[in-house]
Amino acid sequence: MLEVQVTRHFPGFRLAVAFTTTARRTALLGPSGAGKSLTLRVIAGLLRPDQGRIVVEGQVLCDTAQGLDLPPQARRVGYVPQHYALFPHLDVLGNIGFGLPVRSPAVRRQIADLLDLLGLAGLERRFPRQLSGGQQQRVALARALARRPRLLLLDEPLSALDAPTRRELREALGDLLRRLDLPTLIVTHDLADALALADHLVVLDAGQVLQSGPAPDVLAHPAHVRVAQIVGIRNLLPGWVEAHDETGTTVRVGQRRLRARPPTGQAPPVGSPVSVCLRSDRIRLQPAETTAEEANTAFGRVVDERWEGTTVALRLRLADARLRPEAAYDLEVEILGATYEALRPRDRALWAVQIPATALHLLPAADATPAAVKNA
Amino acid sequence: MADRGHLVPSRPARPRPAPALAPPTSAPRNRSLVTIVRAVGRSGALVPLLLSAGLFAVLVLAPVVAIVARVLLTGDLLAVLGRPVVIAALRLSLLTTTLSLGLTLLLGTPVAYLLARYRFPGRTLLDSLIDLPIVLPPAVAGLGLLMAFGRRGLFGPALEALGLTLSFTTAAVVVAQTFVAAPFYVRAARAAFLAVDQELERVAHTLGVSAWATFWRVTVPVALPGLVSGALMSWARALGEFGATIMVAGSFPGRTQTMPLAIYAALESDLEAALALAALLVLVSLGLLGGLRRVTGPLGERADA
Repeated sequence: MLEVQVTRHFPGFRLAVAFTTTARRTALLGPSGAGKSLTLRVIAGLLRPDQGRIVVEGQVLCDTAQGLDLPPQARRVGYVPQHYALFPHLDVLGNIGFGLPVRSPAVRRQIADLLDLLGLAGLERRFPRQLSGGQQQRVALARALARRPRLLLLDEPLSALDAPTRRELREALGDLLRRLDLPTLIVTHDLADALALADHLVVLDAGQVLQSGPAPDVLAHPAHVRVAQIVGIRNLLPGWVEAHDETGTTVRVGQRRLRARPPTGQAPPVGSPVSVCLRSDRIRLQPAETTAEEANTAFGRVVDERWEGTTVALRLRLADARLRPEAAYDLEVEILGATYEALRPRDRALWAVQIPATALHLLPAADATPAAVKNA
Repeated sequence: MADRGHLVPSRPARPRPAPALAPPTSAPRNRSLVTIVRAVGRSGALVPLLLSAGLFAVLVLAPVVAIVARVLLTGDLLAVLGRPVVIAALRLSLLTTTLSLGLTLLLGTPVAYLLARYRFPGRTLLDSLIDLPIVLPPAVAGLGLLMAFGRRGLFGPALEALGLTLSFTTAAVVVAQTFVAAPFYVRAARAAFLAVDQELERVAHTLGVSAWATFWRVTVPVALPGLVSGALMSWARALGEFGATIMVAGSFPGRTQTMPLAIYAALESDLEAALALAALLVLVSLGLLGGLRRVTGPLGERADA
């Protein structure tokens, strides 16, 4: 369990981060400038908070109310900064053994174990500039692990790598972190990295935590429009709540009514403005003539398409009642490349778009979001 | 040393916004040497350019060549170098420059680190004052040192009470050399410390290593090329120190007469000795240039990076 509650003022920026996580691996997700790295530094003891409390697995590292603020040397926190910051004047062994009594046989054995664990055997005498990006990452990890930390902090562990290596190392790092089974906090601005490496998401923006929860929950039910944007929800439609009944909620979006089934007790009151969140991968596309019109089915044509690696993002403009009458398209639908090849959406004039009622997530409208978001 | 002191840690400087008045066309264009040579050749400017480059080379090289040629043609270098006056000057220069270098490292390193790592009131002023001895005429520096530390200077009585006299002693030579040469080291060391990624120091702290040990085991080794080149530059400047030394210390053989002073003194009476000393200094200078290139690449390219 990791408990963090810290504030620190900077000229023009206020860091006020509070979250608790019981997950082994937690990702601090947010855009650049959100205060992610600063938070990491405060936890490592490298930056003194104005006020705060940090507890790792029952060990209090900092509690300003009690006048306690352990120096970084005494925190036993493994810190792997962005770009790894390997000591350029030391070889792999020198880096990993830095700060350890390397003459002791026990320590030597431990370092040898780490080299094995991270696949670094044979590279002991190499210098950082002679290592690949992936090897540098593993040396930085080994160095952080050598002191048997109670908490591992990784700052953008994959951002220093080029795209092909990155994908490969994302998996390898995920496997490694699971094997280590150590409380780990990973800072990233990349949703895919966060999901691959962590089970718990803490979404940070403008120095504040917007949402903290298990990754699937945050993805399915972002708490604010800004969170929805950060976790990559492409369809955010302005609307208002028209009615509630026993099977769900009716929302008015543009010229259309949509049925939603929000979790019990979470539906906004009738008449309130909402942002309707709809993940682009939850929308179904079917040939128009085989589909009978029912709730949340609309007909439209593809006005734009773009390949995004393994998926294709299609932009659809609805034929009659529009969701966003003033925009060039109404919905963004993401389909797999193979599905795209089979469907050939360009060849057909009209498509049926089906939106499951459970895929619609209702958020308080954008202007009702917290101050931190508006300041961003 | 650490990030946690009461001094505000300096953060990486943000790029300053371009001055509003600068015309947008004034940005320097990046052109490769080849294109420049071609453009120059086409414009017919090549001949005057080569001519001025040649004249410049003559101006710089002629004195050096003249000294070396004269020594090789006329004198028996080794025999002249064995003369007592020459030996004394050599020994004194070696002694004083070693001491002034030590003093420079001792006093200059903390200042350079402070300037590189912390923001504090008066930082800009201190940063500018560091360069003062570089631009100050040596005669003025010498007079100033005399007025400050001389027998009738500002601190003269205090020093006298402690039983210390500075004027016209070997110590005065060391003080003059340090005053004049230290800025070269501080400047280079400051740049070298600035170039050390603070993340390295932070990692060292999380690995349980104290701020003091981190300085010696991370900061200094990583900054070493810059520190060494700065020390070499400053030593070279101290070795050649003339103006300030002759004002504060005079020119007493064996006590304050360093190599440059000995050259000047021997000019009238013993040209051979002057030439031998000069040739030796030329040799040392060339060696220094080679050493600097080894440490940092082309002279100064790294020092201010």
